[in-house]
Amino acid sequence: MQPPPPHRAPPGQEPLYLSPRLAPPLASALKAAELLHSLTDALGSPLNLVLPEQLAENVERFRAVYRSHHLAGEIFFAHKANRSSALARQLAALDAGMDVASVAELQHALGAGFAPQRIMATGPKTSEFLWLAARVGVTVNLDSRAELEELAALVRKHALPRVAVLLRLSGFRGPGAPVLSRPSRFGTDLAELDGLLEAVERHQDVVELTGAAYHLDTMGLPEKAIALEACVNVLDECRRRGLRPRAVDVGGGYGVNYLADQAQWDRYGTELTNAVLGRRPPLTWQGHGYGLRAEAGTLRGTLGLYPGHRPVAAAGYLEELLTLQAPSLGRPLATLLLENLYDLQIEPGRALVDQCGAVLARVVEVRHTADGVPLVRLAANAGDIGLEQHGVLVDPLLIDRQGRGWADEAGPVGVHLAGNLCLESDLITRRQVFLPRLPQPGDLLAFANTAGYCMDFTAHHAMRQPLARTVALYREDGSWRWRLDDQYWPIFGTRENS
Amino acid sequence: MRYESITEAIGDTPLVRISPAVHGLRTIDLYAKLEMLNPFGSVKDRAAWQMTRAALPGAVERGDTIVELSSGNTAKALALIAGLHGLRFKSVTNRMKVPEIKELLLLLGAEIEELPGQAECLDPTDTDDPLTRMHRMLTEAGGGYLHTDQYYSTLNTEAHLTGTGPEILRDLDGRAPDHFIACVGTAGSSTGVAAALRASNPELAVLGLVAHKSDFIPGIRTIDEVHEVGLFDPATYDAIESVTADQAIDGMVTLIRRCGLLAGPTGGAAYYGAVRHLQRLEAEQADRSDGATARRQTAVFIVCDRVESYLSYIRRRRPELLGQPPRRNSIASLTPAELAAAPAIDLEAARKWIAAEHPLVIDLRGPFAYAALHIEGSINIVDELFDELLHGGLPFSSNQPVLLACPVGEKSLGYAALLTRMGHRDARSLTGGIVGWRDAGAPLVRD
Repeated sequence: MQPPPPHRAPPGQEPLYLSPRLAPPLASALKAAELLHSLTDALGSPLNLVLPEQLAENVERFRAVYRSHHLAGEIFFAHKANRSSALARQLAALDAGMDVASVAELQHALGAGFAPQRIMATGPKTSEFLWLAARVGVTVNLDSRAELEELAALVRKHALPRVAVLLRLSGFRGPGAPVLSRPSRFGTDLAELDGLLEAVERHQDVVELTGAAYHLDTMGLPEKAIALEACVNVLDECRRRGLRPRAVDVGGGYGVNYLADQAQWDRYGTELTNAVLGRRPPLTWQGHGYGLRAEAGTLRGTLGLYPGHRPVAAAGYLEELLTLQAPSLGRPLATLLLENLYDLQIEPGRALVDQCGAVLARVVEVRHTADGVPLVRLAANAGDIGLEQHGVLVDPLLIDRQGRGWADEAGPVGVHLAGNLCLESDLITRRQVFLPRLPQPGDLLAFANTAGYCMDFTAHHAMRQPLARTVALYREDGSWRWRLDDQYWPIFGTRENS
Repeated sequence: MRYESITEAIGDTPLVRISPAVHGLRTIDLYAKLEMLNPFGSVKDRAAWQMTRAALPGAVERGDTIVELSSGNTAKALALIAGLHGLRFKSVTNRMKVPEIKELLLLLGAEIEELPGQAECLDPTDTDDPLTRMHRMLTEAGGGYLHTDQYYSTLNTEAHLTGTGPEILRDLDGRAPDHFIACVGTAGSSTGVAAALRASNPELAVLGLVAHKSDFIPGIRTIDEVHEVGLFDPATYDAIESVTADQAIDGMVTLIRRCGLLAGPTGGAAYYGAVRHLQRLEAEQADRSDGATARRQTAVFIVCDRVESYLSYIRRRRPELLGQPPRRNSIASLTPAELAAAPAIDLEAARKWIAAEHPLVIDLRGPFAYAALHIEGSINIVDELFDELLHGGLPFSSNQPVLLACPVGEKSLGYAALLTRMGHRDARSLTGGIVGWRDAGAPLVRD
């Protein structure tokens, strides 16, 4: 008989951890091992957990930024980040709105308790979506002049009430040195503004212009400052034409800080670079470089990873944006909005559901590859846990069957995490993950902070593997209670001793 | 010294000894190679000139544009060299974090393109990085560009192999130093100088300094970023150490205030890293030598550039170094009691007051917002200018009634309190500001 293959890291190869940042409620929920095991026993693996009560704090953090700048305006949750009813209903009970991008999301938002005035329709739209939006009176964030024409025709034909619209703009150019912006397939290019505004004026009987919007897929603040100032300029032109705009919608992209420790993230990046350059053993399945490659000893390519540790994220990022100077008007952006009497609208998705959820997956099998690396197979696939797909590298927490939590007792072990699909590519992460000990079948791995895009955004029915059910956890009388997502309403919970 | 062109003044920079009273080393003589005294202000003058001089006649004939990925000193030198020869210079960069340098480059006639920020959502269709895209653009253009390519061009290294390094040897009377310390940016100067010095002293110890990972020091790469540089070869360095932005500024302040050297943060990082490293070596040698006198050693570090362009960088990180005495009539000096007693007037009363007594209505918002909508008859003095005016005294008679308006009535309240303290008899703040005025449906006009 062969000796059991080694599953410890070779000497000198320290484990590389990427510990998740956990707010106290999520940390506490993930320590309730007995509850989590009984939930997955009853409802299956994978299982999505959402923590609706965390939303109050997240909304409040953004509100505090608004208040400090005396700004009014709606905080719209970008619904596509998470489809949970519990989260939507809880948001309806808070000082927040909902940004919907499909007819079903609109129906869901209405059913969750959002009055139409608190809903905005964005994204690519069908006629049905436009009709329902106009019928109930939600604001339409218009993508193009063609969409405006279609909306106006629908309103006239079906004698609908006048619709509030924002104009989504793109193709911004700032003063001074040009900033090369990533081209977007959404919004109306500023070069076509005149035609758009003429159409708005022509359709004034059926649409009411309430503001301008942008959404740039970038973490770069200077690009956003250019766009925001351009919107203020466009709205001034609208006022000159006798229109009465009230708001600038600066979209989303505030980001989340996923990791607890900057030093871990820095160290991982350095070691990944060394691995790609061949100066240390690979850190990933098949030496995957996450976009980096070595050419003649030099590092090429760009790291295709979300910056896991982001000291400035969410409300902090909004604060940085608002305190930037407008590139040509020279006032801080918050001051510019306030002085021009505009509301600020934002559409955070990921940042608003920060710390609001986790995905649980059960360990099905543990074996070793031919070269001795442990391979842990989970009852879940990469579509159920979207962290890797979104470039977010973060360690799962081991919740063992005996309910001993994730106490470090047997020393770290580096493993690969495989999914339940019959596909070579189905790895939960391409990174080797270090766990406090080798897991056993029946243990759970908890992937924390997945509520923003990383929960069921990419889940699918391929190979007829079960889709995760979603459970809402909430505190009542000092302990964790749960309901199926669809059975949760924000009238439970909060009877808290602490 | 009489030259035909300023480019002849590149190189031959002084090597200046740092006083032991400043660095405290007992057995090591420490010298600074003052590359900041090159005519365009930095060590990059050498590389820029070396990378262009041979290609310039052809480029001039064709009317090429010089292109480089640079956010700082290389761009500065190349822009000046381009201008000297009637050529255009274009810089593509994503590291332009120091506003003065950007403005200086624009003044020098450089065209700058800034690369977009990282995407918030990972886009698998976006496969190549901005730099690759720029290289493709240069190739596809099929000409018209002279790409100096500082991160890969061996001419960059050569400038130091044939210039900086031999100059150090010459000024040390032909004896190579024992230690050479340099910050790693393009790795050109450290690689070139190290090779020249090693040829004369194979025992030379080379220390490469990089920026601490989470920090930004202009001109220096972090330990991960150096690998993106084609000229970087880890074998050049006997050790790589990192310096924080704070330490770089500490070193810079010492060079400026104690040594009379107007060095920038990169030179400061080199000095700080050098002294830290050498002090440790000295301590180790003292432990080993049991009181026997150690052989005197020599160390050289490079002062890359000058401090003047980094004032905003310093202001952001160490504002106390630029401390200003408190100014007269400052809104920051108001006490809570003064603020609480500040005269304010609500919207309804203000409208009656305006109608009856015609106070001077001062709108403190920006001119763009004022032009869009304002209270009829008001004048616009933007808060920043109003602030400046008040430092000098009252800009109107103390008997002239004044109504101050800002967006929500907060800033104006402060100024009403300040005006009152300055002896004004009737300055009031509009409670709720222009926003409150608008919300109450009171008229706002646009001229």
